[in-house]
Amino acid sequence: MVDKLTLEDLRTMAERAGLKLGDDELQLLLPGVNRSRRQVAELRELIDRSDELAGTFKAANTDRK
Amino acid sequence: MTNLDLSYLTIAEAAAGLRRKQFSAIELADACLDRIDAIDSKLHSFITPTADLALEQARQAQRELGSGTDRGPLHGIPIALKDLYATKGIRTTCHSAVLENWIPDSDATTVTKLREAGMVLLGKLGMHEFAFGGPSVDAPFPAVRNPWNTAHIPGGSSSGSGAALAAGLCFGALGSDTGGSIRTPSSHCGIVGIKPTYGRVSRFGVIPLSWSLDHAGPMARRVEDCAIMLQVLAGYDAKDNASANVAVPNFQTGMKDGIKGLRVGVPRKNWFDENLGIDQQTEAAFNQALKVLENLGAQIIEIDGKPFSLARKANQTILVCEAYAYHEKTMQETPQKFGSSVRRRILEGAFLSATDYLTAQRARTVLNDQIRANFASVDIFAVPGAARPPEPFEGMDPNEQNLRPSFTNPFNLTGLPAIAVPCGFTAENLPAGIQFVAPAFQEATCFRVAYAYEQATEWHKQRPALSSA
Repeated sequence: MVDKLTLEDLRTMAERAGLKLGDDELQLLLPGVNRSRRQVAELRELIDRSDELAGTFKAANTDRK
Repeated sequence: MTNLDLSYLTIAEAAAGLRRKQFSAIELADACLDRIDAIDSKLHSFITPTADLALEQARQAQRELGSGTDRGPLHGIPIALKDLYATKGIRTTCHSAVLENWIPDSDATTVTKLREAGMVLLGKLGMHEFAFGGPSVDAPFPAVRNPWNTAHIPGGSSSGSGAALAAGLCFGALGSDTGGSIRTPSSHCGIVGIKPTYGRVSRFGVIPLSWSLDHAGPMARRVEDCAIMLQVLAGYDAKDNASANVAVPNFQTGMKDGIKGLRVGVPRKNWFDENLGIDQQTEAAFNQALKVLENLGAQIIEIDGKPFSLARKANQTILVCEAYAYHEKTMQETPQKFGSSVRRRILEGAFLSATDYLTAQRARTVLNDQIRANFASVDIFAVPGAARPPEPFEGMDPNEQNLRPSFTNPFNLTGLPAIAVPCGFTAENLPAGIQFVAPAFQEATCFRVAYAYEQATEWHKQRPALSSA
């Protein structure tokens, strides 16, 4: 279970991100943001860390023009 | 042959007719340009028509073909581009006020390839703003409408590409696909579109939505035409870091070999009933299509849809995070330049963390393994092209896509090649589509199955009843 963000949380986060968003717009964003956070929590359940490989940086593509 | 007959030729037919001197490249271009003039005010599929350039290119193609210089099957063929492909000297807007007057100084790699293949460029096509968020009702250009019923959406985000093809305004088009943006308008407009394997077609010069999910690809009225276009577009490009340095086969080899013995996986259980589930008429058309495949000798095998269902969640998370990263500066400085729909969707990414993004990427690896493991027991997946018919503009629910299963975005997450072809109509005469999804870099298998299905049915021969009145 993931904590639900509030309008106040979103306002603080928006300011920190340099976004100038009114409360009416933040209110419209709130359900989508909370849905996204619930989705991430569900995805986290899929990950089995015991056999996970390291990340995905590839040193191969050096010929980009 | 009337202009209407010319407009609805396939690329293969037009290419053959040009070489038999049944008509000229100039007549083909004129037929499209006349039709754009006559009916596009109802559809708004074009943002920037390039009539003068098209006629100049058509005259050049005619001269070259007449003097024995043959650049291949796209030589002299009228084509249009989704307005996120950079075109040197031609305005490229992404259907947005943010780029309303941007004129690139170079072409996308795919545009260069089409120019070298001798295409006749008809212009730049409308889309969902920045390829995201739904029909753009408050963008500087009108939202594209569905030729089958202009009160309905054409699907997106390659909305202009789908509408222009269905209306006979061009012979082929380029789309792009991050969560279904080639395949959804193909299904909603009754045409064909393929999202190739991730890395198969260069995205250099294509305005990004989400780097790790974006695919470029062709749309046309027939399977064979998509194969012809992909042949020109495919191939390694050092300018695109995700480009795959793998051999490009002849996509038409084996296309007409049939599908006897083919094992078709249908991931229905734990997916088709997600949330509100699939629309009844859409599922009926899909089930009827499976019967056609069986009659052609394929074996239908039900597989577990759970990882396909979960894939939407990873896809959406990655998409909004990457989209916000790309647009961050503009969102901070001039957010009012974005339409409300796309702004709201992109801004979700501002409120997710780096850990959230990486969690989705890690889950992507798990889901990718689970989905691809099915290819041990089946040769191809078959899924509906969309969960429901194209909805009307009036009363449209912006959250609709979250109320139904997404049958497209698992294949952006996995990068697998997926083709959408027409598979029927609703009682309201709105098109439905079916997708065939093959293992990575096996676009030829997509084409073989789609071609067999297309040739066994009549759906692709239907045209919307548009008049110029």
